Amino acid sequence: MGGLARPLTLLPVLLALAVLAPAVLNPYLRFVVTLFFIYAVVALGLNLLLGYAGQFAFANAAFFGWGAYATSLLQLRLDLPFVLALPLGALLTAGVGALVGLPALRLRGLYLAIVTLAFGEVTYWAMIHWAGLTGGASGLKAPAPDFTALGIPQGLGMYYLCLAMAVLLYAAAWGIVHSRVGRAFVAVRDFEVAAQALSVNLTRAKTAAFVLSAFYAGVAGGLHSATLRFVAPESFDLFQMVLQFAMVVVGGLGSVLGSALGAALVLGLRESLRAAVATQEILFGGLLIVCIVFLPRGLVSLLRWPGSPWIERLHWEPRRRGREVATWPLSP
Amino acid sequence: MFVNLLVSGLANGAVYALVALGLVVVYKATAVVNFAHGEGFMLAGLLAYSLYVLAGLPYGLALPAAVAGACLLGMLTERLAFRPLIRASVVSLVLATTGLSFVLKGIARQVWGGRGSDLAFPPVVAFQPLQIGELILTGQSLVVMGGAVATMLLFLLFFRYTLLGKMMRATAENQRAAALVGIRVERISTITWGVGVALGGVAAVLAAPLTLLYPDMGGPLLIRAFAAALLGGMGSLAGAVLGGLCLGVAENLAGGYVDTSVTEVAPFFLIILVLLLRPQGFLGRPEVVKV
Repeated sequence: MGGLARPLTLLPVLLALAVLAPAVLNPYLRFVVTLFFIYAVVALGLNLLLGYAGQFAFANAAFFGWGAYATSLLQLRLDLPFVLALPLGALLTAGVGALVGLPALRLRGLYLAIVTLAFGEVTYWAMIHWAGLTGGASGLKAPAPDFTALGIPQGLGMYYLCLAMAVLLYAAAWGIVHSRVGRAFVAVRDFEVAAQALSVNLTRAKTAAFVLSAFYAGVAGGLHSATLRFVAPESFDLFQMVLQFAMVVVGGLGSVLGSALGAALVLGLRESLRAAVATQEILFGGLLIVCIVFLPRGLVSLLRWPGSPWIERLHWEPRRRGREVATWPLSP
Repeated sequence: MFVNLLVSGLANGAVYALVALGLVVVYKATAVVNFAHGEGFMLAGLLAYSLYVLAGLPYGLALPAAVAGACLLGMLTERLAFRPLIRASVVSLVLATTGLSFVLKGIARQVWGGRGSDLAFPPVVAFQPLQIGELILTGQSLVVMGGAVATMLLFLLFFRYTLLGKMMRATAENQRAAALVGIRVERISTITWGVGVALGGVAAVLAAPLTLLYPDMGGPLLIRAFAAALLGGMGSLAGAVLGGLCLGVAENLAGGYVDTSVTEVAPFFLIILVLLLRPQGFLGRPEVVKV
C-alpha cells in the first residue's frame, strides 16, 4: 500500500474536477465524458483479465454487448426499473463470463484467444439473427433511466451515475489488485506452475478474472445502453474489441490508471476525428501495432520518474516466449 | 440434393483448405498465428479484381500478379508485425497482427470502397454445367477444386524436394540447429510468411468468381481457416487440408438441411467443440507442456 500515498493527493483534485465539470461543459462534451467513464470501466475489466491475470480472451466486446442487451431487455420485457436491471444485467454477464472462463481452465495463449473469438462471433451472430428478442441488425430502443425524482435532467443524471460507477469500480479494482486475489492473478499470468506451488488455486483465480472482467463490461454495457438509449449489434463487433485492446495496450497493461488513460486517448481520438470507418480502422489498428512495438508498457510507463504524482506498481513485463523461439536471433 | 451439397461443400472446403494450409505453414515455422491472414486473402481477391476486371489484363497474368502481391504482403507482415516482436509474448504478437488486419481492412475500404458494397468477379470459364445423374457441376467449382489440388501438390513438392522447402522445414523443426548448418533463419522466416499468405492468395483468386469481394471478407475466412486447422490438428499440413474439406462439407450440409444462416456459425461451434473435446484435432499430436 506504500504506493497509495501520492495517488491520494492527486485523486481528490481529479475527482473534484470531474464533479464540477458539467457546469462548464456543453451537452456534447458532457456526453463524451460520460462515454469516457463507461469505456474506462470496460478497459479496466479487460485489463484485470489480460494485464493482470494474463488470460488472452477476445470476449470482452461480447460481454459489453451482453450487459447492454440484458439491461435493456430486463427493462423492456420484464418491466424492471433501471436500478434493478443494471445490477441484474451485470450479474448475468458475470455468469456468462464464468462460462466463457471454463475453456481457459484447459486452454491458454493462442487457443484461448481463438475459442473466445469464436464465442464473440457467435454472440454477434445471435444479436443479429435472434431478431425476435434483440431487434436484429437494426437494434432496439433502450429505455432511459428517470432522474426526475432527483430533479436533474437525464443527460446530467447519466453523467453523475457513470462517474459514480466508474469511481466505485476503480476503487474496487485498486483494492483487488493489491489484495491476495490480485497477487494470485499476477502469479497465474507469470508462471502457472509456480503459482500452484504457492497454493494459488488456478481454477478459482482464472474464473474470478473472467467473472470480474465480464461484470465490469456488463455494468459498462448497461450504462452504455442507457446513455445512448439505443442498442445495436455493430457496437459489439470485432472492431469494438480492437478499440478495447488499443485502450489497454496504449494505457498500459497491468495498470489501473493505464486503463483510464488508454480509454481517454482512444475515445478522445475517435470523437475528435469523427472519421470514416476506413480511417478509424487504419488509425486504431496502426495505433495498436505502434504501441506494442515501441511502447509495450503503455503510456503509464512514462509516468515513472522521480517525484511523479502517480506511483503504481506496474504488473506487465513484455515477456519472452517459449524456448525454441526465444533462442532464435543467434547473431546480433 | 445430398450429392450436390457434398460437391459444392468440397469446392468451398478446397478454398478453406488452402487458406488453412497457409496459416499452418506460418504456425509451424514460427509458433505464431497470423491474425491478418484473412486480409491477405481479401486483398489478393481485390487485387485480382483490379488487374483482371478494371485493368483488363489476361487471367494468366492477373492471377500470378495478385498472388505475388499476397506474397509480398506476407513478407511485409513478417517484417512489420513479427520481427520486431520476436522476443515478445504471444499476446503482443497476436495483438499486433490483429491491429494489422484492421489497417489492411481500412486500406481496402479506402481503395476499393465506394463501388457498391460487394464487387462481383466474372466467371473465368464459361462452359455449360455438367450434369451427371442428379449431380450438377459448374465450371467454376471444377476450376476451384482442380486449382486447389494442383496448388497443394505443387506446394507439397516444393516443401518436400526443393532446397528452399527443405530449409523451411529444417527451420520449423529446430531453429538453432538450422542456423548451425548455415541456414539464414531470418530470411527463411520472411519467405515462409510470404509463402503462407500467398497460399491464401491463390485460394482468393480461385474463389473470387464464386463469391463476392468485399473488405470485410477476411474475418470470416480467418475463422474458417482456424476451424480447419484446429480440426485437422494445428501444426499438421495434411490435417489442415483434411479439416478444410470437412469444414466445407459440414457447413454446406448444415446450411442445406438446417438453415442457411447456420452456415455462418458452423465454424464457430466447430472451433469451440474441437478445442474443448479434442484440442489436438484429427492428426495433431497432443501438446505436452514441460516445466
